[in-house]
Amino acid sequence: MTTVAPAGRVLPGIRTAKVALRRRAASAPVAGRNWRGTSKETVPVPTAAVDLKASYWAALIWYCKNGGEAGLLAAYELGRQAVASRVGMLELAAWHEELATTVVERAPAESRPTVARRASEFFAECLAPFELTRSGFQQLNATLHELNGTLQDRLDAALRDFEHARGELVQQLRVADEKDEVISIVSHEVRTPLTSIHGALTLLMAGVGGELNERGQKLLDVACRNSQRLVRFVSDGLDLKRMESGTSAFDLRAVEVAPFLRQAIEASRAYALQWGVTVTLGRVPRRLHVRTDADRLMQVMTNLLSNAIKFSPPGRPVVVESSCRDRLVRISVRDHGRGVPESFRRHVFEKFAQAQPSSARGGSGLGLSISKAIVERLGGRIGFRTAAGHGTTFFFDLPEWRPARSRRK
Amino acid sequence: MKRILLVEDDPDIQMVTSLALGSFGRFAVKVCGSAREALESAAAFKPDVILLDVVMAGMDGIRALRAFRRRPAFADVPVIFMTARVQPHELEQYHDLGSAAVIAKPFDPATLAETVRAIWKRHHA
Repeated sequence: MTTVAPAGRVLPGIRTAKVALRRRAASAPVAGRNWRGTSKETVPVPTAAVDLKASYWAALIWYCKNGGEAGLLAAYELGRQAVASRVGMLELAAWHEELATTVVERAPAESRPTVARRASEFFAECLAPFELTRSGFQQLNATLHELNGTLQDRLDAALRDFEHARGELVQQLRVADEKDEVISIVSHEVRTPLTSIHGALTLLMAGVGGELNERGQKLLDVACRNSQRLVRFVSDGLDLKRMESGTSAFDLRAVEVAPFLRQAIEASRAYALQWGVTVTLGRVPRRLHVRTDADRLMQVMTNLLSNAIKFSPPGRPVVVESSCRDRLVRISVRDHGRGVPESFRRHVFEKFAQAQPSSARGGSGLGLSISKAIVERLGGRIGFRTAAGHGTTFFFDLPEWRPARSRRK
Repeated sequence: MKRILLVEDDPDIQMVTSLALGSFGRFAVKVCGSAREALESAAAFKPDVILLDVVMAGMDGIRALRAFRRRPAFADVPVIFMTARVQPHELEQYHDLGSAAVIAKPFDPATLAETVRAIWKRHHA
């Protein structure tokens, strides 16, 4: 019989013990000498139900009197049960000590040496299972120790990696904090004088300073327009930052598409006039709704329209349209400009991206990044199609919203 | 709603803001160059709204807001931060402090009065 330990190793010892057992049994004195009338035929075989200590004593007394292999097998079995029921070696030794002395003392003087030897044999045999367990345990322990060592090494390595990563993170956070602080200060230092400049210019435009002559008015227009541009740049920057940090709140309501688009076109009329471009409303399905933040979506429309207007040749229309497919509402703005240059197409939605640096066209270079962030926050998607010489169509898709009444159909 | 207490230490912005509020909104505007001055004169002026700059020499707007909040007479007066410090985390801080709203600098002078009126209405709704 071999026992396979969990680690797949064969625990030595069982075979050795059996051999030892057979050897001892062979050398044991021949049974036959009755001692105080106990029958040698009945070996008290321990069972789990019997109190182990009582069994031990009974079997010990029997073996001390009779000797023989059966008694030793009983001792071995007792040891096995002791191991199984977690009786320790010390406890077993105590039981043995408690009885063995008495047994030896009470034996007839001439048989005392035999009785004493048998008691020792019995005890030794009883300890054999402990020995087996112990050597198995030692092997297992060695394996575990080895495993522990490996685990400890891995743990140490992981801990070192963690410490390193944490250090880097702390460093990055510190840099980020410093960057935030610098941005905050720079932003404040730009915004403060701009407040006065823009405020004063707007008040002059409103006539607070009285009438200006034609040249003065033209100069004021220049100053005002450029101040406006700078203001838009800083407020776009803030918008984008709030969008990215998720700190901007969205007020979601059902919005009907057609009136919304008419309103957007109306709002861009003055700008279109300035560029000599007309904006028209194309096909729009009736009673089409989206659930959205109307102000934010208007911001997207303003961006798309101002881009389309800027890039359209004078006299050509910019067309706003809408359609609905698979419960997705698409709103598109089509211009008849030169199209987005091939090399620039993948940068269109990046921050500060402008196909050509153009002071005449103005714009912060943030409009499309903001539009993309808004549309995505609204659960939609933004994109464009373009063909050189045939203009560009920017579009975004938002989930259709159906009022409760029509949803029941 | 008639009376606005403007707490702002930049003289240029003082002028632009009070002109904008006066021309477009016909409000009575009391301008204070520091938070201390505002805390001293607020009781007599009895403002309907306080417009408060954040970055000021001496006591800053945040401490000023806390000081106003400690005074029962101003418990119901909306305080609007009007500031160039408008990073997302700063805006959150103003909100947590209990400001009624934030107007980012640079603001549009033509619509400032209307914005302030709307905030006041919302505050008392």
